[in-house]
Amino acid sequence: MKRRNFIMGISSMPILGAFSIGATKNIYKVLNDKKVDSKEQLSINQFDVISERLPKPTGNEQNRIRIGLIGHGWRGEGLLNSLGFFHPDYVNKMKTEKLYERWLPYQRRHENLFVDITGICDTFDIHSARGLDAAKNNVREDRNTPEILSKIKQYRTYKDMLNSDNIDAVIIATPDHSHGQIAIDAAKAGKHIYLEKPMCHTIETAIELKKTIGDSGVVFQIGHENRQQMSYKLGNELYQKGVLGDVSMIQTFTNRNTPFGAWIRERQFDNLGNESTINWKEFLGNAPWHNFDHKRYFNWQRYNDYGTGMIGNDFSHTYDCVNQVLGVGIPESVVAMGGHFYYNVGKDDLADVFNAVFYFPDKSLTMSYDGTLKSGIYRQTRILGSEATMEIDRAIMLYKDTYSKRYKDIAEDSDNPFYYYAPNARVDVDAVTSATSKNYFKSGYGPTYIDGKIIDATFLHLKEWVDAIRGQGKVSCGIDAGFEEAVTLCMANLSYLHKKTISWDKVNEQYSIG
Amino acid sequence: MNNQYSNKQIIALTLLRVAIGWHFLYEGLFKYLSSGWSSASFLLHSTGPLAPLFKSWAQSQTMIENIDALNIWGLILIGLALFLGFFEKPAKFFGIVLLSFYYLAYPPFSNLAANFHTGGNYWIIDRNIIEIASLVVLMMFSSGTYTGLDRFVVDSKIKKDSIIYKLFFHRKKI
Repeated sequence: MKRRNFIMGISSMPILGAFSIGATKNIYKVLNDKKVDSKEQLSINQFDVISERLPKPTGNEQNRIRIGLIGHGWRGEGLLNSLGFFHPDYVNKMKTEKLYERWLPYQRRHENLFVDITGICDTFDIHSARGLDAAKNNVREDRNTPEILSKIKQYRTYKDMLNSDNIDAVIIATPDHSHGQIAIDAAKAGKHIYLEKPMCHTIETAIELKKTIGDSGVVFQIGHENRQQMSYKLGNELYQKGVLGDVSMIQTFTNRNTPFGAWIRERQFDNLGNESTINWKEFLGNAPWHNFDHKRYFNWQRYNDYGTGMIGNDFSHTYDCVNQVLGVGIPESVVAMGGHFYYNVGKDDLADVFNAVFYFPDKSLTMSYDGTLKSGIYRQTRILGSEATMEIDRAIMLYKDTYSKRYKDIAEDSDNPFYYYAPNARVDVDAVTSATSKNYFKSGYGPTYIDGKIIDATFLHLKEWVDAIRGQGKVSCGIDAGFEEAVTLCMANLSYLHKKTISWDKVNEQYSIG
Repeated sequence: MNNQYSNKQIIALTLLRVAIGWHFLYEGLFKYLSSGWSSASFLLHSTGPLAPLFKSWAQSQTMIENIDALNIWGLILIGLALFLGFFEKPAKFFGIVLLSFYYLAYPPFSNLAANFHTGGNYWIIDRNIIEIASLVVLMMFSSGTYTGLDRFVVDSKIKKDSIIYKLFFHRKKI
């Protein structure tokens, strides 16, 4: 009986014995098969950009920079926010939505740049007033004393602001058609410039602005904050390391499917806009004369007189990302086609479906852009290489090519990424809800992940500009990158308007139609 | 009432116990032997209501080192215990705990990401839940006291009414 007990008790031992002989053998066999480490083989197991640290603070009480904001609309207010200035309504909204406890530490985590907003200029009185309230409410430092607040001024025209001694630098976030002229005048007045994208509305202004900036010595930054996004920096490093092989094609896309996304916008106070509250002449600037028109003012993006359409609003971002990764520059020629089928047909002249092909013979590649305002499907930029294809936005995915010889030993098939970079940056710090905003964040224009922290990319871009004004480091999206962006997108819009191929003569810096 | 298992029942229960032990032990040994294995990526991409917690763990180096060590040694020890039928009771308990973590990291609540990661199609019930359920069954129908080393403890002259003993060993169903 005892013997039976013993045998029963150890009855599973033989199976364990068999297991232990077979298991380790099998593990080593599987591990050996896996031994081809794709990252090691690509020599991309270590990256320079990922170990990048946040640049050191440059500001102090003695070297404060006084900034004037020209254009306090949707984007202008966003830029003030990135600098730490918030309208009291916004702060109250954070409080009523119970986000304040999370929001304030996130704001305070961003360095105090020691800048003051000392001037606001907008062609709409309500926007100006709102801008003044925001400029007086710095949430990153305690500067809200009567003496300091009294120095914040409203300017009726941007030229008044440029003539002021109370301003060292300007941020320009006006409608596209005025970017070039305001920046040219600012540079001539010796003010440092942060200019929102797209840089210019016409190629002629872009050429003039480039010359003026070159002669002026002011620090000039274009507001492509994707320059600060880690994924694009990493994309550039991967490309430089030759991971993709020969790149023959770049596919870019933008998609929206809401009236707001199609720039049909009504804000709660737009109905206060009339001829007495809007400086219509100042708004028109160099644009062709037109009688006062409420719609033209508030939905200016939908008119080619003032806006640059999907190409200037959406594609300019994507183009600059591609230019950041591959340095493609200005195409030799562009052909574009589009249609105005869906929104406000007969009332304005913005295409809502747009395709363009960009030809880069010196780089042996072409780039395409497909954009629609009537489908919200999300598509990343794809860079097609002979060895691997890269999908890039805030994240990166690399797929080996089916016929790649270099990566033939890599276990993953071409349907599954063999490398990906997907930082765990939470994007809901600011209670982002609309689909347009979500795509914006996914495309990498919101926060980025650097130095173990989640930081607003626009803040980093502004900081880079402010640091450069103080003589520390250089801007990453200066006049040359801006020029490439402006010429490229203007060529696409010209091609659409003329229904002809537009070519660029890079030696003489001239374009030709047809 | 007949409280005794039939021989067939014992064999079936033992096979199930050994199969789960095999699975745990192999998984643990594999992770132990493949240098550089880490749970970071698994946690970083987790989904579901507990994802923020798992993701915050994944971002701390010390936390990840502890989780990796606990996971590897947990798998190996639970696997061995089930295989041998030795300390079967706590092994089943901790096995359920460990599997619950795997389940909660990718809960299959009509979430594509969860199915994407596990390579199958599941809704609410996935393989982790089946394995948890199997362990729950084994919790109610222990076999180590018959076909495992626990048998020698149960048959020994150790006092069997202490709380500690009851935590670690089943009673023999005779």
